[in-house]
Amino acid sequence: MLIKRKNIQASGTGGALAQSFLGMGQRRLDRRSFLRRSGVAVGGLAAVSSLSGGLFQRAEAATPHNHAAPAERRKNMCTHCSVGCSVIAEVQNGVWVGQEPAFESPINRGSHCAKGASSRELVHGDRRLKYPMKKVGGDWVRITWEQAIDEIGAKMLEIREKSGADSVYMLGSAKFTNEASYLFRKFSAFWGTNNVDHQARICHSTTVAGVANTWGYGAQTNSYNDIRNAKTLIFMGSNAAEAHPVAMQHILSGKETQRANVFVLDPRMTRTAAHATEFVRIRPGTDIAVIWGMLWHIFENGWEDKDFIRKRVYGFDEAKAEIMKWNPAEVERVTGLTEEVVKRVAQTFATVKPATFIWCMGGTQHTVGTANVRAYCTLLLATGNVGDIGMGANIFRGHTNVQGATDMGLDVGNLPCYYGLAPAAWAHWCRVWDVPFSYIESRFDDVPAKQGREARTRAQNMEVSGIPSTRWFDAALLDADDVDQQDGIKAMVVFGHGANTIPRMKAAQNGMNALDLLVVADPHPTTFAALHTRTDNTYLLPICTNFECHGSRTASNRSLQWGEKVVEPIFESDNDYAVIYRLSQRLGFADEMFKTFEMVDGKFSKEPTAESILREVNRGGWSTGYTGQSPERLKAHMRNQDKFDIITLRAPKDDPEVGGDYYGLPWPCWGTPEMKHPGTHVLYNTNVPVAEGGGAFRPRFGLEREGVSLLAEDSWPVGSDIEDGYPEFTMALLQKLGWDSELTAEERAVIEKIGGGDPEKIAKVSWTLDLSGGIQRVAIAHGCVPFGNGKARVIAWNLPDPVPVHREPIYTPRPDLVAEYPTREDGRQLRMPNIGHTIQARAVEQKLFDQFPTVLTSGRLVEFEGGGEETRSNPWLAELQQDMFCEVNTKDAAAKGIKDGAWIWVYGPEENAKVRVKALVTDRVAPGVAFMPFHFAGWFMGEDQRGKYPQGTDPVVLGESVNAVTTYGYDPVTGMHEGKATLCRIEAAA
Amino acid sequence: MARMKFLCDADRCIECNACVTACKNEHEVPWGINRRRVVTINDGLPGERSVSMACMHCTDAPCAQVCPVNCFYTTNDGVVLHNKDTCIGCGYCFYACPFGAPQYPKASNFGSRGKMDKCTYCSGGPEEDLSIAEYEKYGANRLAEGKLPLCAEMCSTKSLLAGDGDIIAEIYRERVVTRGYGSGAWGWKTAYGETINVSA
Amino acid sequence: MTLRFKLAALVLGATLGFSAPVMAQQPVNPTASSVQEQQLLDALKPGETISGRISIPDARAADLEKPSNKTWMGFNLGVSDRVMGVALVGTALALLVFFMVKGRLAIEAGRSGRTITRFNIFERTVHWTMATSFIVLALSGINVAVGRYIVMPWLGYEAFGSLTYLGKLAHNYLAWPFMLCVVITFVMWVRHNIPNRLDLRWLKEGGGLLVKGKHPPAKKFNAGQKIVFWGVVVGGGLVSASGLLLMFPWFLNSATDWQLAQIAHALIASGMMAMILGHIYIGTVGTEGALDAMTSGQVDVNWAEQHHSLWLEEELARGAVQRRGPGGEVTPAE
Repeated sequence: MLIKRKNIQASGTGGALAQSFLGMGQRRLDRRSFLRRSGVAVGGLAAVSSLSGGLFQRAEAATPHNHAAPAERRKNMCTHCSVGCSVIAEVQNGVWVGQEPAFESPINRGSHCAKGASSRELVHGDRRLKYPMKKVGGDWVRITWEQAIDEIGAKMLEIREKSGADSVYMLGSAKFTNEASYLFRKFSAFWGTNNVDHQARICHSTTVAGVANTWGYGAQTNSYNDIRNAKTLIFMGSNAAEAHPVAMQHILSGKETQRANVFVLDPRMTRTAAHATEFVRIRPGTDIAVIWGMLWHIFENGWEDKDFIRKRVYGFDEAKAEIMKWNPAEVERVTGLTEEVVKRVAQTFATVKPATFIWCMGGTQHTVGTANVRAYCTLLLATGNVGDIGMGANIFRGHTNVQGATDMGLDVGNLPCYYGLAPAAWAHWCRVWDVPFSYIESRFDDVPAKQGREARTRAQNMEVSGIPSTRWFDAALLDADDVDQQDGIKAMVVFGHGANTIPRMKAAQNGMNALDLLVVADPHPTTFAALHTRTDNTYLLPICTNFECHGSRTASNRSLQWGEKVVEPIFESDNDYAVIYRLSQRLGFADEMFKTFEMVDGKFSKEPTAESILREVNRGGWSTGYTGQSPERLKAHMRNQDKFDIITLRAPKDDPEVGGDYYGLPWPCWGTPEMKHPGTHVLYNTNVPVAEGGGAFRPRFGLEREGVSLLAEDSWPVGSDIEDGYPEFTMALLQKLGWDSELTAEERAVIEKIGGGDPEKIAKVSWTLDLSGGIQRVAIAHGCVPFGNGKARVIAWNLPDPVPVHREPIYTPRPDLVAEYPTREDGRQLRMPNIGHTIQARAVEQKLFDQFPTVLTSGRLVEFEGGGEETRSNPWLAELQQDMFCEVNTKDAAAKGIKDGAWIWVYGPEENAKVRVKALVTDRVAPGVAFMPFHFAGWFMGEDQRGKYPQGTDPVVLGESVNAVTTYGYDPVTGMHEGKATLCRIEAAA
Repeated sequence: MARMKFLCDADRCIECNACVTACKNEHEVPWGINRRRVVTINDGLPGERSVSMACMHCTDAPCAQVCPVNCFYTTNDGVVLHNKDTCIGCGYCFYACPFGAPQYPKASNFGSRGKMDKCTYCSGGPEEDLSIAEYEKYGANRLAEGKLPLCAEMCSTKSLLAGDGDIIAEIYRERVVTRGYGSGAWGWKTAYGETINVSA
Repeated sequence: MTLRFKLAALVLGATLGFSAPVMAQQPVNPTASSVQEQQLLDALKPGETISGRISIPDARAADLEKPSNKTWMGFNLGVSDRVMGVALVGTALALLVFFMVKGRLAIEAGRSGRTITRFNIFERTVHWTMATSFIVLALSGINVAVGRYIVMPWLGYEAFGSLTYLGKLAHNYLAWPFMLCVVITFVMWVRHNIPNRLDLRWLKEGGGLLVKGKHPPAKKFNAGQKIVFWGVVVGGGLVSASGLLLMFPWFLNSATDWQLAQIAHALIASGMMAMILGHIYIGTVGTEGALDAMTSGQVDVNWAEQHHSLWLEEELARGAVQRRGPGGEVTPAE
């Protein structure tokens, strides 16, 4: 029981005198005066109060939570990283007044990090963009939605007329719901371009490419929860403690109960490393050398899993030729790591199993990003650490829905659910969209022959991957002949993407200035609104957050979670669905594009329901098993979160609603929703029947190579009727096996319709194209994986460097190694030239290392996320990191006379780049290495740009961007930038 | 009777600051007031540990002893609370507190200390339970609703424990036995005169 | 690869090996090498703090734990309060005893009826401004220190809280006139308060108390008054300085600084209060005719002769003595 009041003598013997003092002078703390201070202290909120009228809704910050009155509880997900923490919002009178821990969620069990715990402030929205705006003669002016949509549409059509559809770049967002991602991808297709991308480009594009090219799918194989089973963990280029804090709950708990070995291989002694059992400091950009060094010991000592390799992996004989070059002496020469350390890590990883390998952007953001990822996979395959609990490639993705947005094809080279851009893939989605292929074809440009490159027809152009988001500004600035499409980029339509997370911001600034049209649709103005000096043709559209709309999102572990709208969109903001609809209306293809959706009245216009969009994904997402996750099933999971086990993520089989399901129906969730596939907790797991979430490696690289079969040998998922490797299921295979008779009449009718009645074409209808799901159903009924049962491969013959090769960063602190380990030759990728080799050669020749002797790497802070506009606008978070900083080693700082907290200049080797930041003198970084977080913007090369934001929308905290000093360098497969290894010079600022 | 305590298991703490923003969120704590904070000892060195710290709700609380106006009181749950109507903003409690818990807005005359604010263990203050007045002066009263402090409930790694001191001590003891290490029940000796004995 | 290149590589590698202790290869086990609270506490010296790094700019927030803050608490509750009690009660008792023994110090020659201007209106205004502010400061200060023991039981909790809050307001605001007066007093009277030989004699003779009828000569201020002057100037200065630090806590960094400031403030104030008690005694009941100096500003010439003979001589030489005429009107001296 709680005592409320201390036993206080109400009045003493003082009598009248005491009475006269009572309540006098001592002003009782005024109602709200405590609350009100929050506004006063942050300052600059005047703008909010000056706004009024129209549909404008006042900021709700001061509305107190009445704890005595009931509040409605609504459940959604945190909009920051990919862990997928449930957020419970308490709503009173349409205002989000409180946040409660969602203990029932098996993912976060009530927990949050700083960002999740302050989610509510996102919807207070003091610094949000409040209504549509445009620049007129350099000034921001308020306009109506109608005017904004009309003018943007007119300008887009004008640009299309002059420069073609490809000259409008559609930059989407990892903050989209799955439904908005899908809608945006579809929108781009109906507009007629493959220039559509999102944050995955700069986050895990190399992971997706590298992993998919190894064993089939580009995603985390296991889950955060499953790491509780691991006995050995390697973190390489992952700082989960800051980037995925709630994942650390499972990791640290597992570490304790398993007494697990936790290795952190990183250039920095991070908050994650603080909890490691061994911290190994590596030089940025030497991942492949380190991994091959480990594999050298593994093969040398016979620690590899020979049985696993024989049954399930192709190509080690060939790969060993490269791997075994990395003897301990060479590893030490290149990486600085001694034999003893490398051997210890290798032996533990190979022998104390199950072992998992965790990586993040420290591995992916390199010119060798895809190769790094394949090296990690090679280590997992060599040690047999894929395809069971406690193992696998636990790839921690960055944003709330970067996995889902990638799955939905917000990518220059994919249609939704990884269908690619081949004609069959387009035909498939045209069937789902209920439009003729010729209609979409008519929307695309034909491309003239340029600089000796062949011309492309519209249909051919549909098959060509677009320009990666890391290069849009090059495509806007380069001579049009250098860009492999009709014209360069003339317009950016940016939905929820910052500009400060991509290197070479000086070029980005020039690129923005060169555009004919810039549209930013976002809850905040972002750097896209402030970095440039544009005066006109620049629009800001206020988009609400995911807390203000319905929709699903896919966490890193492939689980889908349905978020319900917490409150109506605040101010004049509106959701993505409605805005994309209105834009396509103005552009003239709304009727075609939206005919498959259920349309309802939205805030300002008609909008499609999230449910009907997800159902369309269910109708078409066969290749990735995005078909079983109906809105109804997802909502049932959210209602029954407490039923799921925190280690297996599975609900008890007898539960009436979600019995036997894995939480969030992690894809692949095969077949139709009615088939009740439980989802796949652990990918490629042969110890579980396919109907229960089992699988095998996906044979997607052909059936044989040089006479050697690429199908699995003596390995199959338990309960399989085919006890051997087999290719993907097609109608032909079903017929051959005699299983086609098990198809229902309806299924057969659908398959025959897809085949156009032609028996040859019908035979070719595969598990990915069969809109009935019958082929999948029958295969799974026989215990078979629809995609086949193949081997993973450690040589990707279709990629540059089929076996990963160590290559020095373009700006390397070891120019002596460049002759032996140069970056790849110049070439053309993704419609753009890549001159990395030339730049590296020039850097060595000009001895840039002498002028820029410090290695610069970058990363995350726990308080902020991505470009940081959202989080730096949140005072609860902004207060915790008020200054952009650069970590400088204590010895380096002493040598340069730099004090902790003092201002310094960090100079970059390109474009005379320099940033003024505060020094954080620490031994987190090694001597000769510096680190800067990438969330800051609003200062550019010493200039404070606060005045360039529309009034009242400037984030609380501004700072220099690390990407003002980062440099050239692109992965040849995906166009991923080099964000983790470049050079700089640090000087004390006056 | 049970005594409510906080225990930060530093071997779990990753300085994610969820406790800090959860507190801001629950009580609308203004900028510049940090009822809870996370400090990292030996930052950047192997063996660094981060510790989340707020009012420890000490036994024989020094703040209460030095307060010139006796504005502190201890509830039956062992929570040390104060009365903002009585507080004169003198700062003595801050001088006496071993944990830097008392916070002051720069709101009084000459911009000097306003009325002290500190962690309430999410249990409000002397106003009527769950009243608007209580919320606006002290923040939410989760204890009255049968809930524990939000900082601990939202801790990303279940590092920060809150609840009956005996129970959380037992949780910590079990953890240390399971994993074989523990850097200590930070602040307990200073706050309660005794720490948790772990014979692992 | 040429031999030369290999050699170059080898040399470079070796140099790097030496110049980069970063890559030191002992296994680094952060879990096992974790810092332990008990070790830190054991190593902690009195007054030291266990501190670390924190990202918010408030440097004080980086202090995690400082057990010795309880020492201040002990001092504040034990020593400081007692010193104040002893200073006030002790002085008051001593004065009472003194009064009972010695009685009032009379003007030995009786009042002459002739007066002389001792303090002009400005000096008196400054004095009384300082005096009233000091008394309020002292009372509100005493209340903060010990009011809860002696006032609260009598007044009740809530009324006492209000009173103390009013007291704090008064303390904060009246500190300013007090400090101003300290400065003015210093400027105004410092030339009269330079210690000299006369003061030694005056002190040796106990200000005339030891031998009845024999008063040591003094100028405008005798040694006793000089002590009060310097006590007010130096003590007032220090109490102001420590008070300012407490009033503007943002100037200081740590609880230790504030603790020291608070201790200094309390102790110096206690000393000053004791001294001022004595001053009040001497200036009122203790000495016949003394109060006139600060009320009308006119002191009797005989009083002046007795206590400030040299000053009187100077004043007479300047022709500054006023004679009260039979009609009561004041006429200028011849």
